[in-house]
Amino acid sequence: MLELVQAWLQRPNLIAFVTLLLLGLFITVTHHNLVKKLIGLYLVQTSVIFFLVTTGAKEGATVPILLSESDTVQADLYVNPVPHVLTLTAIVVQVATLGVSLALVAGIYRKYGSLDEDDILKRLE
Amino acid sequence: MSEHLPALVFLIPFVTAICMPIAGSRDGRRCQTVVLAAFFCMALAAAATLWFVVRYGEIRYSFGGWAPPEGIEWVADEVGSIMALTLSVLACLCLLYMRSVPIDPLGGRTIPFYTILLLLVSGLTGVVFAGDLFNLFVFLEIVALCGYTLVGVPGGRALVSAFRYLIMGALGGSFFLLGLSYFYAATGTLNMADLAQRVPDLLASKAVIGGLSFMFIGLGIKMALMPLHGWLPDAYNDAPDAVSPLLAALLTKVALLAWIRILFWVVGAGNGGQPSEIFALVWVLGAVASVGGAFLALAQRDLKRIFAYGGLAHIGLILIGVGQGSQTGLTGGLFYLINDAVMQCMLFVFAGAIGHQFGVRTLDELGSTHIRNPWLIGAFVIVALSMIGLPPTGGFFGKWYIVLSAIESRNYVAVAAVILTTLLTMAYFIRVLERLVRVGKDAPDASRVETPLPLRVSLGVLSAAMIGLGLWSDRIVNVLLETTTRLGLGS
Repeated sequence: MLELVQAWLQRPNLIAFVTLLLLGLFITVTHHNLVKKLIGLYLVQTSVIFFLVTTGAKEGATVPILLSESDTVQADLYVNPVPHVLTLTAIVVQVATLGVSLALVAGIYRKYGSLDEDDILKRLE
Repeated sequence: MSEHLPALVFLIPFVTAICMPIAGSRDGRRCQTVVLAAFFCMALAAAATLWFVVRYGEIRYSFGGWAPPEGIEWVADEVGSIMALTLSVLACLCLLYMRSVPIDPLGGRTIPFYTILLLLVSGLTGVVFAGDLFNLFVFLEIVALCGYTLVGVPGGRALVSAFRYLIMGALGGSFFLLGLSYFYAATGTLNMADLAQRVPDLLASKAVIGGLSFMFIGLGIKMALMPLHGWLPDAYNDAPDAVSPLLAALLTKVALLAWIRILFWVVGAGNGGQPSEIFALVWVLGAVASVGGAFLALAQRDLKRIFAYGGLAHIGLILIGVGQGSQTGLTGGLFYLINDAVMQCMLFVFAGAIGHQFGVRTLDELGSTHIRNPWLIGAFVIVALSMIGLPPTGGFFGKWYIVLSAIESRNYVAVAAVILTTLLTMAYFIRVLERLVRVGKDAPDASRVETPLPLRVSLGVLSAAMIGLGLWSDRIVNVLLETTTRLGLGS
């Protein structure tokens, strides 16, 4: 048990990721306000992106810009840039999703005058 | 030139989407003609790709000349090009059908609507051809974003359905991204061909198992696998009649194709690894989805809902075939996937046309309306034959291979599930057919009953396609068998 806790504590990034993911899922599932659901969704997406970034980290490494042109590249000196590039694209996807979802929420609010899920479902029937 | 064909198939709708504001600047009605022309050119390019691939072998296209695994790679193999041809032809037919079933409150949104439609089709092409997992994710999200927008077009109720679909779809996308970052953390690559070299040795690793599970959950939401299907019936029911055939035919199918690609092309079923637990999970969930979907379809009153639940059952049938993990099963599953896309398209074209021309939405209205329209009734009989699985339609041959693979691996529970689904499918189709041919007392207004020519063309071509897929099934299956043999699945 102690070793397990030690192993966990050595990976604070993963603890943060799991906390954010579960919090986001919990908010999305339990809240009745549509905007709050979106906040939960945003947390889930952000936590995944956070996890993706941390996979590229190395101890003692710097930003992936070559220190000098002449040397042969030493991979240990730089963090892995690929997750960052992937993250950029994932953030674009996230922003687009958020934009579409806010547009939908605005449309729903204009039509039903409420953001509460129960209210809207009552009016649908 | 020929090696650029897959990129061309993608670029035709994509560039047209960007040019849409110019095309529609003077007259919004011109948009539809331009889009139809674009889809037609795309179908030609896809046919050329298929011809080339069958003749000379698969095309591997690396964007910008960056060689994989560093660069982004597209793979046009037999499966991908058949699927690209199917989706571009279906897009053409849906657009023809859209001419006769206009979307009512489109107003000033003509240009954005057609832009999103084109982006949807280019996204689908991307999913079909993508040779790297991250690319697959991005295209899946493009498809999903266009899907949410198109479902929400009519406003009101549809907005709520679109919002639910968005919450589920975005969660699915996040899970897929999480799964692929596990894969990246474990192997350091995202290229499918490169992963196929490394993942099979790592199947005991928790990161790979976790990644695979997250991807399955993510894609399961997107393909509306039974316990995760909550968004689908509402979304398809509330989507405008004009776009529901396209959404129903392709959205869930490409997610399923992506899962098949990961399962067979990346995890590598044939090369010794044999992760039989994954296959067991896939076919059991497939059996649950097929029987459950068919039961739920039997309980519905709305035509579009019946067809939506029927679609869920058919996703399950494909998974039963795929889950056998054998060559016959995979070939049958892929063949049925193509058939299912055509059948779903046809069912929603039928539901939309009958709703628009006769004002019929539910079974009761169908029973009390006198429908005398040889085109609609004939097309419905053919699609019913194909959905139930009777020769000479393509549905029969797809189901035949799926049942054959289940018998080969002595999996009698799966055989029973397929047969039970078939019986239930027959039950709900006979219910619809009986009301369709019944002489009701409500006569529709005579001016609306005439079938417009574009609708006739799209109904006729779809029916011909279903029979054609049956008559030439051996050729298509042979092509698919060749692909699956290359995967190392052959005996």
